[in-house]
Amino acid sequence: MRRIMKRLTYQLKNLRKDKLCLLTFLLPIVVGIVINVLPAMNTQTLGEMSFGCVKNDLPAKTVRWLRENGTLTEYGTLGELETAVNDPATQMIGVLRSENGIRTLLSGDELKLYETTGKTLPRLYDNRMNKIAFSQTIVPIRSNYDGLKSLLIVITLVTAMFMGCTFNSMNIIGEKEDGVALVNQILPMGTGDYILQKLTLGFIGGCASTAICAFLCIRIAPAQIPPLFLLIVLSAYTASLIGLFIGYFSSGLMTGIVYIKILMILFLAPPIIFYLVVPTDNVVFPLSYLFPSSAAFYGLMDVLGGQAHRPWLNLAILAGHAGLLSGIYFLIMAKKRKRQ
Amino acid sequence: MWKGFTHLLKKDLKMMLSGKFFLLALFSLVLYSCYINLVYVNLEQEDYQVYLFDPHGASARQDAPSGQNEHVTDVGSRQELENACADGVSIGIDLSAGTPEIYMLSSGIQTADHYRTEWGKAVLTKIMDEKAVLSETTDHEVEIIGAFDKEQKSRREITCEFLFFELSAVGFLGLASILFKEKQMGVIRVHGILPVHKAAFILSKLCVFLLSDLFFAILLTFINIGFGEGLAILPGILVQAGILSLVMALVGFLCAVWLPDFKQFSLFYLVLAVFITTPVFLAGQTGVSWDWIIFHPMYHLFTAMKSAYFGVATTSFPFYSICAGTTALLFYIAYRVLAREMTKEG
Repeated sequence: MRRIMKRLTYQLKNLRKDKLCLLTFLLPIVVGIVINVLPAMNTQTLGEMSFGCVKNDLPAKTVRWLRENGTLTEYGTLGELETAVNDPATQMIGVLRSENGIRTLLSGDELKLYETTGKTLPRLYDNRMNKIAFSQTIVPIRSNYDGLKSLLIVITLVTAMFMGCTFNSMNIIGEKEDGVALVNQILPMGTGDYILQKLTLGFIGGCASTAICAFLCIRIAPAQIPPLFLLIVLSAYTASLIGLFIGYFSSGLMTGIVYIKILMILFLAPPIIFYLVVPTDNVVFPLSYLFPSSAAFYGLMDVLGGQAHRPWLNLAILAGHAGLLSGIYFLIMAKKRKRQ
Repeated sequence: MWKGFTHLLKKDLKMMLSGKFFLLALFSLVLYSCYINLVYVNLEQEDYQVYLFDPHGASARQDAPSGQNEHVTDVGSRQELENACADGVSIGIDLSAGTPEIYMLSSGIQTADHYRTEWGKAVLTKIMDEKAVLSETTDHEVEIIGAFDKEQKSRREITCEFLFFELSAVGFLGLASILFKEKQMGVIRVHGILPVHKAAFILSKLCVFLLSDLFFAILLTFINIGFGEGLAILPGILVQAGILSLVMALVGFLCAVWLPDFKQFSLFYLVLAVFITTPVFLAGQTGVSWDWIIFHPMYHLFTAMKSAYFGVATTSFPFYSICAGTTALLFYIAYRVLAREMTKEG
């Protein structure tokens, strides 16, 4: 036991000297801090309607009405307003005075919601004076996170989890390049020992980075902590296994980095796209579970949303991935030993 | 001199082939094109859905004729109404009690909630007073001033962003990886004694990468924007892609000569990718405006590229002269650094 600890401390020391690993460790934490201190306004303006008008063109009451319904930016001339409306990056709707109300400017490339808004805004404006009796209930949202922010947090956490593979794969590749891997072969150290050490290395790195990041970013009910803990542990383990695969397959540092890059894209993009675009009851949706990161992603989303029942399904899928990958890795290792 | 140069070109091309550079570029091309054609083009933000719970008169109400913008769905109970509105976007109208009630889950943004209420009120007016508020407005009330529809815009926008990313981040990495390999093999040392001009050494690399980047830009544009439309804007795009490719390749060259090993380089690369390209993307994609962004050199390259994709010529003479100046300066520095490295290597 003490021997294992000693070796592990040596490995960790080795890791500390590696600036790349240090940076991958710190990067999610820094992003976590940035998300945390990001003013709430910044992420919120994205969900608002954005209107533009020419200065001193609209009457004060119209300006007030527009400001109640979204953000209003004033431009000096009509030309400036038209440029802003035409800017492909924004969904801005231009509002101008007309004889008996307002008229709107659209660039024609807006998303459906904004296009309809632009087309119906003059009527909606006329309707504001229409007094009809109704009562109104607006239920405040329970969680403290608006959609975009929790999405950002989850993306950061999943990145931190699966970046764990960087720690041990870089370590293994570094050893390969320095020739330590060859020395290891004649040292009286079993393959099992070696795998265990490298696995622990990635596991500790991934876990620690994710845990710190989670601690900084999210506040959840105590009941949600066990599923969160299990999610982190299982994903860090899976990531660490993947790190072993990368270390095994890549011949040099360059290929290793390329593999990690491709893997991160493959692991991060599908869950985000599936989460945003594909409804949960779609037949295609279960396909996204082919990537272990998807289970982690949905699980984290549920934990943040305060839904306790679904993490267990995601945890089971994640555990399945971990088991399957371990099996494959041990098979490869066994085959390799037989060949030697 | 020229004979040596063609040999250099051939060698660099071989290096790129053996470094699987083209394979990687092809992979990115397929990945980007799949994403654009299968996912990005289909992204849409739908109109507000209105759910109506009206136990007394649901059958009397007629469905909205086409050309109207209310999307009203009838629900059977209050519970159903609340479930349907749980997404924080949909609007519920409950007519079961005496006064009608507009029910919704807050989206967390006050103005958006206000706008949704206005929308709900308009639908309610339609139901109560039979006055269609949300029907299409007449032409003189809405003016469409843009030249592109949504799909054309999305295609141009995202293709521009992918090309920018590929050229600035990936192209940079490609040149550096080749140079590191050469460094390892001792090519720089050998070049010190060869009768080939040092400028030719840099130039051949630039040429190879410029050509491959331009080729990539052409393919990406044609695949994702279409041949006809793509051809019309291609000259502008090629100019911008050429500038970006040259600048990034030279920066990559400099870093690769300066930094001792690939590990440190990849560190630098990470910093570049995160801190240099991310703000540009944010500013370009979301319309978030920062005052300091105009001091960001890459931002101007990005805007120029974007204007090229949208067929607007906003870039001016100062822009091109600064680009030419920067390229020349970077070339000079790269030359000096290479010369110093060669003397150091003996």
